[in-house]
Amino acid sequence: MPTKLINPMNETPVRVSTPPARPRSLQGKTVGLLDISKTGGNLFLDRLEHLLRERFHVANVVRTMKPTFAKPAPPGIIEQLRAVDAVVEALAD
Amino acid sequence: MRYPSTVLDIGQTVPAIPGLDLGSDPALIVFFETDCPTCRLAVPYLNKLARGARVIGISQDDQAATNQFTQQLATAFPVQRDSGLALSRRFDLTFVPSLFLIDHNGRVLRSHFGFDKAVLNEIATQMRCPPVAEDFDGAPQSKPGCMSRHLEPKVEGEFGPGPAIGFTRGVPASVIEVPDGEDLFEYCFQTFGDALPVIPPTPERISNMLSGATVNPGEVIARVPPCYGEATVEKIAANAVMAGCLPNMMRVLLPLVRVVCDERLNIHGVQATTHFAAPLVLINGPIRNELGFAYRQNAFSNVARANSTLGRALQLILLNIGGARPDAIDMSTLGNPGKFCYCIAEHEEANPWEPFHVERGFQRQQSALTLFAAEAPHGVSEHTARTPEQVLKSISYALATVWTYRACLGFDAVVVLCPEHARTIHRAGWTKQQAREFLFENTGVPVRAYQDAPDAEGSQLISKYQEILIDGERCYQKFRSPGSIRIVVVGGTAGKFSAVIGSWAAGPRGSEMVTYPI
Repeated sequence: MPTKLINPMNETPVRVSTPPARPRSLQGKTVGLLDISKTGGNLFLDRLEHLLRERFHVANVVRTMKPTFAKPAPPGIIEQLRAVDAVVEALAD
Repeated sequence: MRYPSTVLDIGQTVPAIPGLDLGSDPALIVFFETDCPTCRLAVPYLNKLARGARVIGISQDDQAATNQFTQQLATAFPVQRDSGLALSRRFDLTFVPSLFLIDHNGRVLRSHFGFDKAVLNEIATQMRCPPVAEDFDGAPQSKPGCMSRHLEPKVEGEFGPGPAIGFTRGVPASVIEVPDGEDLFEYCFQTFGDALPVIPPTPERISNMLSGATVNPGEVIARVPPCYGEATVEKIAANAVMAGCLPNMMRVLLPLVRVVCDERLNIHGVQATTHFAAPLVLINGPIRNELGFAYRQNAFSNVARANSTLGRALQLILLNIGGARPDAIDMSTLGNPGKFCYCIAEHEEANPWEPFHVERGFQRQQSALTLFAAEAPHGVSEHTARTPEQVLKSISYALATVWTYRACLGFDAVVVLCPEHARTIHRAGWTKQQAREFLFENTGVPVRAYQDAPDAEGSQLISKYQEILIDGERCYQKFRSPGSIRIVVVGGTAGKFSAVIGSWAAGPRGSEMVTYPI
């Protein structure tokens, strides 16, 4: 006879969403740059913004910053990035 | 953020409270619900106020719930029931906790609802008492309350038990069938474990574990970050079985799961950081001896079933329900051995000062648990110093290395004093606060350490640091305030070994220490 066990793992239903298709080109697109407020993130994103504008001819860059790297982005930040075509997050130190 | 005041205006006379003699001094009337987290948060502060002033609690719940509330929280003021919620209607409350400061004629001097430390301190001043709430003591500055019971949607009958706020029913756990011939222990080890064997969570064992809980198995105690899995009482019991807990440990485990998910601790960040942090559990009060927690020699070791199984059950819950699986979501660079188990209790009997939970606003006879996002302990041996200054100086050198030597201000620390060191300090007449202030004033990083290292971690922030002189040398002060250094007394009575434990990023932008009643 099989042994019965009570499942101790997370069984909370989750909503699965599909990520949008990657853009084929960045030309004319709007790109969001998210600084998570770690030291040096602004230096990295300043350079990236320059490259995106000069080399990839993006139409617009939306810069935003989390108040702290230690917590998830507040809803306002997510809302700001909802309308852009792609996001780059400066995640690490 | 301030919330609008309750409906009774200043100067109005409050409705008569049955059996209440107003006396000659102001009194503070506090309406509360027994399952309102904000009401529970306020009780330790009201207890402090009740030492020097008249506080009267009015419970909106039935006798059984009220008794449980007053016992659990060791209320130090008289509590009466608002039978039928008649008084709540007459006071026209909207939320709880609702506070009415009244004079000897029953006129309202002040009213407020919700929890607000500044308001509590102002009320204390009006009642000629010292302040009752300190900043950065682990509780938020303010917290909104819950809707008054009489305004909640009715359930069965006019004054039936109101819906329990903050609780919902979760999905029942599924049943897994392990086929004959398969090694049950190996199956559980591979499927549910933390890289150590676990006890199979059979229905019989879980039923036995649930005998230690007084709440319904389907209740959701918390949603555990970072995956926000629902920790139902049943799921918690299943993980407690696997960790080897006895059923009576559910008394501690249920509040522990609630406190680990308190937003101030920010377990989401603690579990997802590349830093060393792991939640350190500190147990205080009578429950230490009732359940056999170790706090003497080997307090951090594998010496007592209570510490080991409670600490491991928490870690299994974070892993299995919270989803912080190592090498998937938890990408900590070096990890922490405390992620198997990190649970200590204070050696209150050898602590010459007040126990830690009393410092945090609880009663001595009450049990409490504290959580701290902690690095591993860093030992400090000091066997020859004979004065408080010398002992604490030795500890300050270890404190200066917390996070990294050149970094200041962004973190807290716990100093785990061994009983012998605590005795040396106390014998000279020092209070715990004096010891903490001495450590604060004597822990710094010499300015010369930053020379020729402009890119080193901590060097970029020196404009924010406070320069002080320590023994005539220019230093940057390591910590933000004496309150950043917490002192607990733990360990065996032989041996002069203390320890320093650094935190993860501290404060409201990182993780804050949290203490809850058991």
